[in-house]
Amino acid sequence: MQKAERRIDYKKRRSYIEFLYILPFLVLVALFSYFPLYGWIYAFHDYRPPFPITNETFVGFKWFATIVNNPVRLKNVLRVLRNTFAMSGISLFFSWFPMVFAVFLNEIKCKPFRKFVQTVTTLPNFISWVLVFAFAFTLFGTNGAVNSVLQEIGIISKPISFLKSTDHLWFKMWLWLTWKNAGWAAIMYLAAITGIDEQMIEAAKVDGATRMQIIWNITIPSLLPTYFVIVMLNLANFLSNGMEQYYVFQNAFNQDYIEVLDLYVYNMATSGTGMYPLSTAISILKSLVSVVLLFITNTASKLIRGEGFI
Amino acid sequence: MKRFLSLLLTVIMVIPMLSAVAMAEEAPMVIDFYDDAANYHGIQTGWFAKVVKDRFNIELNIIAPQVAGESIYATRAADGNLGDVLIMDKSKFVNCIEAGLVKDISDRVLEIENLKPFHQQIKAYNASLNKGEGVYYGIPAEMVNTSAVGVTGEMIYSSPQVRWDLYKAVGSPDVKDLDGLLDLLAKIHEIHPANENGDPAYPISLWPDWDNNDNMSGPANVVQLTTWYGDKFKGAAILKPDNTFVKLYDKDSGYYKITQFLNKAYQMGLVDPESFEQDWNAFVGKLQNGQVDLIWYSWQQGFWNSQDRMDNGTAFQVIPVEDAMFYADADNFFGSSRVWGIGSKVEGEKYEKILEFLNWYASPEGLTFQHCGIEGLNYIVGEDGKYIPYKDNALMDNLPVPEEYGGGGYQDGNNAINQWLCGSICLNPNTGETYDQKYWASYIAKNMTEMKKEWQARFDAQDPVDWMKKNNKIVISPNCVANLATDTNDIELLRNEINKALCKYTWQMFAAESDDDFEALWNKMVDEMDGLGYDQLFDYDCQKWQVEVDAKIAAVAQ
Repeated sequence: MQKAERRIDYKKRRSYIEFLYILPFLVLVALFSYFPLYGWIYAFHDYRPPFPITNETFVGFKWFATIVNNPVRLKNVLRVLRNTFAMSGISLFFSWFPMVFAVFLNEIKCKPFRKFVQTVTTLPNFISWVLVFAFAFTLFGTNGAVNSVLQEIGIISKPISFLKSTDHLWFKMWLWLTWKNAGWAAIMYLAAITGIDEQMIEAAKVDGATRMQIIWNITIPSLLPTYFVIVMLNLANFLSNGMEQYYVFQNAFNQDYIEVLDLYVYNMATSGTGMYPLSTAISILKSLVSVVLLFITNTASKLIRGEGFI
Repeated sequence: MKRFLSLLLTVIMVIPMLSAVAMAEEAPMVIDFYDDAANYHGIQTGWFAKVVKDRFNIELNIIAPQVAGESIYATRAADGNLGDVLIMDKSKFVNCIEAGLVKDISDRVLEIENLKPFHQQIKAYNASLNKGEGVYYGIPAEMVNTSAVGVTGEMIYSSPQVRWDLYKAVGSPDVKDLDGLLDLLAKIHEIHPANENGDPAYPISLWPDWDNNDNMSGPANVVQLTTWYGDKFKGAAILKPDNTFVKLYDKDSGYYKITQFLNKAYQMGLVDPESFEQDWNAFVGKLQNGQVDLIWYSWQQGFWNSQDRMDNGTAFQVIPVEDAMFYADADNFFGSSRVWGIGSKVEGEKYEKILEFLNWYASPEGLTFQHCGIEGLNYIVGEDGKYIPYKDNALMDNLPVPEEYGGGGYQDGNNAINQWLCGSICLNPNTGETYDQKYWASYIAKNMTEMKKEWQARFDAQDPVDWMKKNNKIVISPNCVANLATDTNDIELLRNEINKALCKYTWQMFAAESDDDFEALWNKMVDEMDGLGYDQLFDYDCQKWQVEVDAKIAAVAQ
């Protein structure tokens, strides 16, 4: 009896001590993930620096209503959402690309060449978008290299302004994004590939499987869990596809097609100090949509694959 | 070993104590400058830091929203302390007084010795704040003591400038109107399709970087050029020379005229096709490369007109357009759009130090450092005591400063406050000339080049401003004190959206392939602006700026 009680005591004490292990992380999460939510308060006030927010500045849901209460603005917001969905959609549709890239990269037998390809494709990830645009400008500008070459060899007589045109703009944006990110995104899959049990592959080889068969029946299925987690996480971020890329590529001519939600908020909010409330309101809506999407995909994942990821 | 260790320990312990004692005696006081004008964020370094430290034993800590981001304003304001010295836009300053961030300096400001010649301006500004008789908060920036209704200088802020050699090469034609200017540019393009290296050159090259800046709606390239016809942007309204406001999309306004001018130029193939992709830096590169034939800001000449080019006649010169009516701002008699103040948390010794510093900053010595630079580097003193320009590339090439200023590059150590109390056209009592070297007798003598003589003979005037005055082609907007309302958040949202739509369509109009396309875009633009609520914004801006118009009318009456 006494012994059992002592054991419970011991267990209790141990659980307290073990709780202390995660305490620092809980504090960090509270500090950096929950405390900033206090900033949401700005969406409900007519805040304008240098004046502090007070009871008088409280305006309720005015800024949320602002988004929809002017027909032209609403049209603009819908256009921006269309662009956001289109470009996120294209990214999602091609999200298998880094995985396939990793699989094929892994199949390269000549090690120096493999390392070379991997380095070259990973490097662009570390170049900022501003530099990517500078590169695009010298290459595809009206007086750029491509136009010069095409004119030299007589294919075109007048320079084509690639950066001004809106043809296939969403797809071109995806190409830039992929050029920059594919190598980096493949790293996760390369790591997962090294985790595949060698014995399975050995056994398949003994059974006479070809390389394509090994890829199709062993490598890809082993990568699918990783793939699904990444896709789901991306899906939760569907509305926030970043603004830097679109910011550097935007101009008056392609704005109607390139302006995504983040860039819209930026374009609205950068001039002057009065746009904190509206930008906060939009970011709250974005967060809510993200949470909802996350739960939907998680439920879908449970239904389809029998397991969720949270 | 033990003894060595104990010795080492003793030394380690004693050194900080010693240095603490030494620091207590010498530690310079750090003054925080909240500075809307600064392009540098951090502690002032180099020769100007030494100049200030030697005199006051202070260090200047520059807080620059232009570098650190506008959010620093919100966070510091929330903290209740923007800085010790405040340099900010007038409209912001009023809010900061309301929020209790600015110190009442009524007790001391009129005692500042070197600001005594500017009491009229300081009193006028503070009276406009309506805080009561004899209550002082701010000192206007860049005040001058010339006149509130006249223009000093050879050139106004914006006028058409073309390379003199190219203008001569096409026969120095008269330019009657904007179509005449297009003809001139077309001829120039014919004889100058590329620069010396064979890079393509275009008469007109554009950039979008400053669109919607400086309280003006629309692409900066348009809003500057409207001033050639006397139309001045006030927010989203246009102020005509007769002091009435018109909507910017009024077809009789300068906005339509200039947008059409740029589109005609485009249709004639005179606009650099990269205009629609490049930024300001790319434009400057082309200007310095000789790939641009027309410029319109007076200061843009600085990127091309070197002494050599003035001498051999290849520099940019103003080419008057005969039907124009150039808008010019009068000298900043009452100061620029910015104002100096002191933070509300400043007390005691720091307050004294700041007043001492401000007094020096407005003194002949302080102004000489700000506007002329360093003796023996930027200028030398002639036998008659007047200054002679010396190394004019000191800033551009970051030349090393003389040893007594602690070494380092001139530009690296240049005054990072980047804002003055008194403008450069004030008279320096030590020389009897302005601080601005453009008006020194030595400078004028040096710049009386062949090109300038040819210009004077061709246009029968001393300089562009003289030509405008002689031919009655200039409207001078008097300088005045006006306290403008600040936008509410709702107005700001409206303004941002309308400006965005305006810029988008205007840029598309620049590149319209036909006049029909142009008109279609114009109508679409008007529809979208109206849909967003342009009328409301126009009414708001008319009311807001009427205060200034009234003050200007009063200034002229005086």
